[in-house]
Amino acid sequence: MSGVWVVLEERNGKIGRISWEAVAAGLKLGAQLGLAVNAVLPGARTEVLAAEAATKPLAKVVRLVHALLGAYTADGYTIALEQFIRAEQPDYVILPHTYQVRDYAPALAARLGQVLIGDVTALGEGPTFVRQLMQGRLSGDYRHAGGGTCFVSVQSGAFRADQIEGGSAQVESFTPTIEPAQIRTKPGEPFRGSAQTVDLGSAQLIVSVGRGIKEAENLPIVQELAAALGAELAASRPICDNGWLPIERQVGSSGQTVAPKLYLAVGILGAIQHLVGMKGSQCVVAINKDPDAPIFEVADYGIVGDLFEVVPALTEAVKAAKQ
Amino acid sequence: MQPARRDDWTSDHVWWLRSPMTSTLPVLAEPQHFDLAEKLVFAGLAVGSGTLFWRRFGPILKRILASKKDPDFRLRPLGRRAWDFFWEVLCQAKVIRQRPLPGLAHAFVFWGFCAFALVTLNHCAVGLGLGFLDPAGWFGQLYFYLAAAFALLCAAGISGLFVRRFLVRPRWLGEKLSWESGFIALLVFLLMVTYLAAFATADTSEAARVLWWAHTLCLLVFLPIIPHTKHLHLLLSPATVFLSRGGFSRIPPLAGDEDFGLVAGTDLTQLVSLQAYSCVECGRCTEHCPAANTGKVLNPKEIVLGLRSYLSELGPASAESLLGKYNSQEAIFQCTTCGACEFQCPVGIEHLPILIGLRRGAVNTGAWEDDHGGKLFLALERGSNALGMSATDRDKFVQKLELPIFDGTQEYCLWLGCMGGYDPKGREIIADFVRVMRYLDTSFGVLRKEKCTGDPVRRLGNDLVFQQLAEANLEAMALNNVKKIVSICPHCVRTIQEDWKEYGTPPEVEHHSEFLARHLEQLPKIRGEEKIVFHDPCYLGRYRNVYDEPRAVVRASAQLVEAPRSGERSFCCGAGGGLAFLGEETGERVSHVRAKELVDTGATTVGTACPFCNTMFRDALATKGSGAPQLLDIAQLTARALPTVGPSSAN
Amino acid sequence: MKILVAIKQVPERDAQVHIDASGTWIDEAGIQWALNESDAYALEEALQLKEKHGGEVVVVSAGPERVGSTIREALAKGADRAIHIDCAMGRLDALGVAQLLAAAIKSESPDLTLTGLQSDDLGYGQTGVILSELLGLPHSSLILHVEKTEQGLTVKRELEEGWFQTIELPLPAVLTIQSGGNKLRYATLMGIKKAKTKEVRRVTAQELGTTATPVVSLARISAPQKQKSTQMIGGSPKEAAAALAEKLKFEARVL
Repeated sequence: MSGVWVVLEERNGKIGRISWEAVAAGLKLGAQLGLAVNAVLPGARTEVLAAEAATKPLAKVVRLVHALLGAYTADGYTIALEQFIRAEQPDYVILPHTYQVRDYAPALAARLGQVLIGDVTALGEGPTFVRQLMQGRLSGDYRHAGGGTCFVSVQSGAFRADQIEGGSAQVESFTPTIEPAQIRTKPGEPFRGSAQTVDLGSAQLIVSVGRGIKEAENLPIVQELAAALGAELAASRPICDNGWLPIERQVGSSGQTVAPKLYLAVGILGAIQHLVGMKGSQCVVAINKDPDAPIFEVADYGIVGDLFEVVPALTEAVKAAKQ
Repeated sequence: MQPARRDDWTSDHVWWLRSPMTSTLPVLAEPQHFDLAEKLVFAGLAVGSGTLFWRRFGPILKRILASKKDPDFRLRPLGRRAWDFFWEVLCQAKVIRQRPLPGLAHAFVFWGFCAFALVTLNHCAVGLGLGFLDPAGWFGQLYFYLAAAFALLCAAGISGLFVRRFLVRPRWLGEKLSWESGFIALLVFLLMVTYLAAFATADTSEAARVLWWAHTLCLLVFLPIIPHTKHLHLLLSPATVFLSRGGFSRIPPLAGDEDFGLVAGTDLTQLVSLQAYSCVECGRCTEHCPAANTGKVLNPKEIVLGLRSYLSELGPASAESLLGKYNSQEAIFQCTTCGACEFQCPVGIEHLPILIGLRRGAVNTGAWEDDHGGKLFLALERGSNALGMSATDRDKFVQKLELPIFDGTQEYCLWLGCMGGYDPKGREIIADFVRVMRYLDTSFGVLRKEKCTGDPVRRLGNDLVFQQLAEANLEAMALNNVKKIVSICPHCVRTIQEDWKEYGTPPEVEHHSEFLARHLEQLPKIRGEEKIVFHDPCYLGRYRNVYDEPRAVVRASAQLVEAPRSGERSFCCGAGGGLAFLGEETGERVSHVRAKELVDTGATTVGTACPFCNTMFRDALATKGSGAPQLLDIAQLTARALPTVGPSSAN
Repeated sequence: MKILVAIKQVPERDAQVHIDASGTWIDEAGIQWALNESDAYALEEALQLKEKHGGEVVVVSAGPERVGSTIREALAKGADRAIHIDCAMGRLDALGVAQLLAAAIKSESPDLTLTGLQSDDLGYGQTGVILSELLGLPHSSLILHVEKTEQGLTVKRELEEGWFQTIELPLPAVLTIQSGGNKLRYATLMGIKKAKTKEVRRVTAQELGTTATPVVSLARISAPQKQKSTQMIGGSPKEAAAALAEKLKFEARVL
């Protein structure tokens, strides 16, 4: 069997950061088990990207090339990777846990009589693969039983891509056989949600502002933070009542209910009517100058301070971190 | 010339009606000698009038009787019914008390009608030559003079009411002028005038005859008009008051597998139909309705009249939805269930069971589609509290305050409720009440797990979720051996004491104002100069009749100031009826209107006794800026007088 | 349209979970059970499609007897009938569960099979996708809206970072439904009463003829080291901001 193979994913013409994190995971696993670590990159035009991948400390980078892999389809990727895996017989296939991978990897594994161990956050002895259960309340250690290829996908941010050293890998190609009739779904062009309507309910990142902002003129401070984060702007009720922001941006019991990955509450006290609108947030950050503000009870991270100083500083720090 | 002997058979036979005295006072003139033709005309007209009357009243009576029987109706105990009849119908107590001047005017008219019972009977008997009351006899004199006194009052009363309706035009009587009411006022007035005028004429005069016929025509024209619209109350309202459900907001249990509430005509019960037809259109319900007063579609009077129209046009066997042509779904979900309407109604209409019945019909069948309402129901389907918060939140709070867990040995089970358990302000109130209980050495504990009492879903008409909550809670009460509950929330208190009864026997429960009032002697008092305006919560005041206890607590702390609308007329904060969990209101915010009223009293503190009122006013007062009064629950008022052991929440 | 919805009964969101004696699963005593959240959205989508295009909605659920209450809830909300695969879920991995479901679903030949995106307890998010593989049908995942067209279906799929995509696929097909696409309907008294007369067909794993030896096993469960407590970040505004950005990137992983 041919070691560890990491499946790289192209996103907007680049290999996304989460794929490099998967490489980091693969390298760690390879080191742990003494296996060679390689990468496979499905797509139609991947010369440049493959060259970039080749600068990582991998043994081989294989371009899985076919015209029908230009746009992602579950059928295309499953058929192509199935053929490649049958040819290569990897011990481990590591994938980044993206929406795309979630769409095809379970089917791919099943086709090969395997089961994907998905959304892994850590590697252990054995190897065991650790993932979260009960919405983060418990951890589970998973093992792969039996022979054949073990499929693993890794959670975004679980492994650090910035610690990968340089290297040089051999670049090869593999062309699978895919008939157009085998592609059963027709994907359309990606689009953003309508610009006019604010859909806080499906926003992943939200910066929310409350009475601590004091004046409407001060809103730009928070708007810049939101822009830096790529987040939607929301507000507690008094802000919307005063007309400083439209009512669609109100979060709370009589407004929107949101469940983003990140909810950053700036100058919000945290009355129950507001809390019930955002308690589904995965990560809550609160910035308020009142250390007794109820919002801190539900926050994962809190800064007690003057938002007029903290927020601009945070905007800069976020911009730097995103580079 | 002496007056001719009276041509009435009774005075020959009923000797004691004849007076031995000759009266010098004017005597009511009764025309003599109706000839056969006149008698026949009279009889014919009377029969005609009666037939017309029955043509209109008969179908109405039929519709009421054809309605579904009330499954929970019990005639006994008669005591309460008899008292209500005496007090509200005969004494016109509610009519007068809640609207003094017009009420008194109406009472005069009503008493006038009562007093005229024998007069009218005799009058008609005279027309057939069978008059039995001798106006010259001592009884006749006494009675007719008494009736005359009432006639004067009645005439004055009806004139006053006429002026009110046509010149003053209060908006509670509706936009359109009711010419029919004007006509009837005229008839009543004429009846009185023709009666009184008969004292000024002699029996034999032509005038007496004319007066008699005039009076008769007024009567015979009046009779068939009675079953038309609101004048039905003349016949029905005494029965309506007598047969009412009693209590306050007494929600009937659903009967059987096919009963989902008031969905269509077939669901209207006899009591509801009777009440719908009894409406006098006085508008007292609407006058006190927080929704109607803040620009909402809801108008309690129109809800009742809508049912009346439905019954008149479609009948009690119709399968058409009650929420269609005559009433809207939008209106019924704007009700805070404050009960001001039911409280005010002088003819015994019980608006709350009707409104909640209509909501049940919409919710139990899934016809009500509302984002926030759906979220509330889903939250309580899967979780423990109405806010959709995680129960671990409450656990953290219980641990933080080091509240003892109820194990069956303590005297009280302190019920946190959804607000006390999860709302930051509610938690402050609990913390202060706990300080008071600890100061008094009262033994108490809190349940490890609490499920919402079900108040919001009960008032919104979701019987499925309510049943689940009530049964689960009753089971938990029994399991934990809970005998007495004390709660800071009047909604919890009401639901536990009354609504849970449908599914079992709830433990004793009291509101913390009752507890505090009882222990006032043992508690230190400040009695500062500060002015506190106390806002009566609907579910404590009108629902439970508790007005004095919270006031005693406030007075122990500072000077009590009353809002213009207080006590039984307290104006709702807007949170009840499940509305605290629904979306934004249309029109003015009820809480803002009430907050303004409280602020305008000049008080520096607003005193509350309900965590919902507290949360509604907190938002409303926040818009008043820095000069806004403080907002404190009575528990906080009491606690601030205690010696400080730890940090106080009310500073 | 015949729509089949695979639903799962999971511990209630609020449930206090304790690890059982064997250390490999949670102690189920005293747990309140509920319908998995994204399955509720799948059911809602199915019911809305039925209301628009007619047909039948059948729910299928695997698990022990307690699963019956969740099945009844689905019937109360409007599903027409149900299949209960009576079995202990125990050692089954995602492939094993999907094989059971596929065996039950095959004989129904539905036009459309829906599952929720992932379960609230194990959260694999794979059952629906594996199901499509086993049934040999086209599929798509993370679906928010489904529309029936002449050619089959047009669906709205969620992508990362606020992007969406429209996908066209033929029927029969399998879709996994993301939470939040529709407004959920609440269970009504009328629905519960009607549910009493609806068919629930019970089958066992043996009858379905599947024997699954797990490929992947859950060896051990533990409580994660970090409890959810508020991390207060101190220092000057600049220091605090920098520290927060670092945590957001690497701890919370939201940047």
